[in-house]
Amino acid sequence: MVELKNVDVHYVDGAKGGVDALNDVNIRINDGEFVFIVGDSGAGKSTLLKLLTREIQPTGGRVFVNGYNLKKLRNRKLPYFRRSLGMIFQDFRLIPTLTVYENVAFVLRVIDKSKKYIRQRVPYVLDLVRLNDKAKAYPGQLSGGEQQRVAIARAFACDPKIIIADEPTGNIDPKLSYDIVELLQDINDCGTTVIMVTHNHDLVKFYGGRVINLKEGSIAFDGTIEGAIEGE
Amino acid sequence: MRMSNFGYLVRRGVGSVFRNAMMSVASFCVLLVSLLLIGLSVLIAMDINIIMSNIEEKNEISVYVRGDLSTEELNHISDVISSNPNTMTGGVVYYSKDQAWEDEKEKLSEYAELFDYLEENPMPDTFRVTVSDVSRISDTAAEFKSIEGVERVDAPYDFARAMVNIRATLSVIALGLLAVMIVTSVIIVYNAIRSSVFARAKEINIMKVVGATNSFVKIPFFIEGMFIGIAAGAAAWGLTKVIYEVIVQLFEEDITIWRIFGLVNIVQFDDVTWYLLAADCVLGALLGAIGTIISTGKYVKV
Ligand SMILES: Nc1ncnc2c1ncn2[C@@H]1O[C@H](COP(=O)(O)OP(=O)(O)O)[C@@H](O)[C@H]1O
Ligand SMILES: [Mg+2]
Repeated sequence: MVELKNVDVHYVDGAKGGVDALNDVNIRINDGEFVFIVGDSGAGKSTLLKLLTREIQPTGGRVFVNGYNLKKLRNRKLPYFRRSLGMIFQDFRLIPTLTVYENVAFVLRVIDKSKKYIRQRVPYVLDLVRLNDKAKAYPGQLSGGEQQRVAIARAFACDPKIIIADEPTGNIDPKLSYDIVELLQDINDCGTTVIMVTHNHDLVKFYGGRVINLKEGSIAFDGTIEGAIEGE
Repeated sequence: MRMSNFGYLVRRGVGSVFRNAMMSVASFCVLLVSLLLIGLSVLIAMDINIIMSNIEEKNEISVYVRGDLSTEELNHISDVISSNPNTMTGGVVYYSKDQAWEDEKEKLSEYAELFDYLEENPMPDTFRVTVSDVSRISDTAAEFKSIEGVERVDAPYDFARAMVNIRATLSVIALGLLAVMIVTSVIIVYNAIRSSVFARAKEINIMKVVGATNSFVKIPFFIEGMFIGIAAGAAAWGLTKVIYEVIVQLFEEDITIWRIFGLVNIVQFDDVTWYLLAADCVLGALLGAIGTIISTGKYVKV
């Protein structure tokens, strides 16, 4: 579960004398939800996500994620908190010198999973994103869409409670963007909360669901919209 | 941490050594030279120590006593000298005036007639005292001088001062050299690890994002730094052996010169070989680790 209470973020920026990236933001996201976060460039979407991963601390207000009070979280406990999140980025952030299989196995080693678990888990998540046949390929040999699917497999491999995606379709063919959202929805169906930031309004209109619209650091809209596809 | 994952980190660290071949070779060479110089200077310092103590042992204070003393008084003086803390155990030799007279006559046998003119033995009774600490020879001589019945004290003050100066100078040179080499080694390892950290910036970022602990991120870099250090230590040990044995050989070819000073017992490499191997590897690993600590402390913000 995610809860932001009266959150302000003020960046101290020498040139302009500081930026108010978020003003008095209140958001509550329950377990199992799928949420789109939209807004113009500079609206504060990335700042919001950085709060959730505790890359930054709010200047005011309180942030709770998966039962952790992020203001009080000790640096020593930070790694264990991060393991409850799965991150997906616009630029994929795969390790170019490792194969697809090794990229996924790598993060499981990082969180100290057993050899046996890794041998079972990696093929399972690669199967989920339909990339088992590319397990031995290197990221450079894959299309953007395929690379992002590897990143999704990697994020899901650690069995996180929440998946946070910052413009995951930003760098890939618009037609393949739907694939990505559908994979995230599959993961959401397994009970994982998904928070996805996007610029792509067509995508949001097509799938519908809960949408949070940020405008100049404040929430302009937070509600459920009807999608173009039926049967949700 | 599981052994399998620790093993993985070790493999990654060692892999890094070869991936950053240029930096690794540079670090290896600098560490090698450092450890070689350190090893050789330790061995040579040990040799110089042996040589110096041999020379110093030949170094005596002569304590001349008055001619009119009784046997009790002589024994008393002998006891006082022996109980001085700077007197070497068993280092007091009594040299009687008669003995001195005989020796003198023998030395000057060509002029035997001269001695006939002397009615009385002019030589004094003497104690020859070997001291353990040459640097304190002046104080010790003064103490002997103040004993009742002692007439005169002779000590090789200049010689003592020279010895003390030589030792001090050599120590300063050796310590300066060691300090420079150690600092250089740490800096070069620091640079190698820093470049390795930059080469892995992407991995480190991902590791942090998915929740790697501090130690997990840093272990491969420690393995890398220490691997280079240990490899350089082992190589330095081998090179030290080769060079030192050449030095020993040169020394032993000219042994007659050295024998005059009684200096034949220099350190043999085989006697210290295992200590030196262990010391080289430990020191190499330590220098590697220190370079890594500074580098990761600065560039791996977890
Ligand atoms: N590290 C930073 N230092 C200073 N200002 C920042 C920093 N990060 C973001 N900002 C500013 O905060 C505002 C919100 O940025 P961001 O959250 O990245 O927006 P978005 O992701 O919606 O495009 C922008 O005005 C941006 O310039
Ligand atoms: Mg952004």
